[in-house]
Amino acid sequence: MIKFSTIRSAMYEAMCKAVTLIPPDVELFLQKALKEETEPLARKHLELTLENARLAAKGEGLVCGDTGFPLYFIKAGNNTKIEGGFGTLWKAARKATMQATAKSFLRPTMVDPLTRDNPGNNLGQEMPKISLKFEGQGNGLEIIAVPKGGGSEIFGTFYKMMYPADGETGILKFIVESVYKGCYAGKVCPPAIVGVGIGGTADICMQIAKEAAVLTPLGTHNPDPRVEKMEKKLLHALRHLGLGPMGSKGLNAVMSLHIRTAATHTAALPVAVNAQCSIGRRWKASITGQGNISFTGDINA
Amino acid sequence: MHKKILDLQLPLSEKQTINLKLGTIVTVSGLVFTGRSQFHIRAIEDNIIPPIDFEKINCFFHVGPVMEQKDNKWKIVSIEPTSSIRFERYSGDVIRKLKLRTLIGKTTMGSNTSAALSEVHGVHLTKIGICGNQLSRQVRNVRNVFFLNELGKTEATWVFEVKRFGPFFVDMDAHGNNYFKDLDAEIQPQLSKANKILGIPEGFSFTNVDVRDF
Repeated sequence: MIKFSTIRSAMYEAMCKAVTLIPPDVELFLQKALKEETEPLARKHLELTLENARLAAKGEGLVCGDTGFPLYFIKAGNNTKIEGGFGTLWKAARKATMQATAKSFLRPTMVDPLTRDNPGNNLGQEMPKISLKFEGQGNGLEIIAVPKGGGSEIFGTFYKMMYPADGETGILKFIVESVYKGCYAGKVCPPAIVGVGIGGTADICMQIAKEAAVLTPLGTHNPDPRVEKMEKKLLHALRHLGLGPMGSKGLNAVMSLHIRTAATHTAALPVAVNAQCSIGRRWKASITGQGNISFTGDINA
Repeated sequence: MHKKILDLQLPLSEKQTINLKLGTIVTVSGLVFTGRSQFHIRAIEDNIIPPIDFEKINCFFHVGPVMEQKDNKWKIVSIEPTSSIRFERYSGDVIRKLKLRTLIGKTTMGSNTSAALSEVHGVHLTKIGICGNQLSRQVRNVRNVFFLNELGKTEATWVFEVKRFGPFFVDMDAHGNNYFKDLDAEIQPQLSKANKILGIPEGFSFTNVDVRDF
C-alpha cells in the first residue's frame, strides 16, 4: 500500500526537479545542435539556453520562467494499492501543485478561461491534469511531471481531420506546414521536440501527439519500421528548411520527432501535432510498492 | 562577451532608435515596465493604465515574471520574455497612446505594431535563447508593482531597474522593417525543397469536404 503522503511528495519533488533541471537526453541534443550550427545567432541562442539551464541547476532560477500547464502522467501496475484509493491521485496532484506554486517553483499561470481570474495556486477545473494508465502486473507507481510551457502548447498545437485519399503525402505536408508555422520567429522555442499523433478520435489523436512529444526519449524511433521511416524522412527534410534555434537561420528547428499511431475510423485520417520546447521539461518519480521513491530525468530508466 | 555588446541607456531617444539596424545585438540599462495580455486589453478597452510617467519609463517588457516575496521584499526567481505576437490586436494602439519607443519580448510582431512603431520611431527587441535567469540577475531593483491584487503576480505591471539587460536583438526597426519577415523570404524557397525531399507534389491540396465549394 503506497501512502498518500509518499505520492504527494513524489509529485511535488518531480515537479520541482522538472522546472529546475534539464533532462540528460535533452541536454545532449542541445549540445549536439550547438556543434552543428555555424550561424552566430543560432549558436548564441543555444549557448544562452544552456547557460540558463546551468544557473537553474545551481538553484539560481528556473529552466524557463513560464512553468506552463501542470501535467502528471501516471502509470500504475495491476497490483498497485494506494492509501485512500486511486481517486486520491487527483488530491495529491492538487496538493503538490499548490505547494510547488507557494514555494515559487511554479509561476501562478492557470486562470479561468472566461473570467481570466487567477487563483494564484495553479488549481482549477481539470488542472492539474492527471493522465492515468495501467501497465503490467507490478505494484508500484511511475509519475512523470511535465510543466508544459505556453509557447510550445499555444503555438505548437495543430489538428487536421484528413481523409484516406490524402494518404501519407497529406500527413507529411501537414507536419511540415505545422513545424514551419510553429518555429517561425521562435514561437515554440525551437529546437523543438515534435510529437505527431496519427489516427484515433480527435482527443486520442492529440493525446498521443502530446505523449510523443513529452514522454519519448529523444533520438529514439517508433518500433514500427514504416513509422520509423516517416520519422527519419521528416527529420532529414526539416533540416533543409533553413530554420534553426529560436527561428533564426540554421539547421535545428527540430531536434527530435516522434510519431505515435492509434486505430481510427475507416473513413478518417486525423493527424495532430504537438510541439515541446527546446528544454523538454519532464522528470520522473518511481515509487515501489513498499513506498521507496527514486527520481530521474532519464525517461527510459 | 558583454563587453562588445552595445548598451543603450533607457529611455531610448528617437536619435538612437532611428539608427538601430535589424539584427543588431544590444543590452539596455534603465527602467522598464512589464505587462502582457491584461495590460493591453485593459489599456485600450477600459482605459486602465498604471500611474507611470511613460516618458521616463518608456520600455515595455513583455513578461510574466516569477516573483517571490521574502521578508517583505520582492525577489525575482526568473523572468522569461513572453511571446509579443499575442498582443498584436492592441499593441499598435498601446504604442501610440503611451508613445512607446522600446518593446522587449519573444517572437516578433505583425503589421499593426510595425506601423505604430514607425510612427513613434520605436523598436521591438527580441530575446536570445531561453534566458530568464540571466535576465533576472541583471535587475538591480524591483521599483514598483501595480494591479497586483486585481491581476496577480503574473499579469501585474512591475517596474524594474535594469543594468546591461539582455542581450536582445533588433527584430523590428523604427522604419517598419522586420528581421523575421526578411528571413522568411529566404525560407520560403526552402519550404518547397523540404516538400520535394518528402515527395509532396507542388500544388498538392487536401480533400475538400466543404460542399459549398463544389
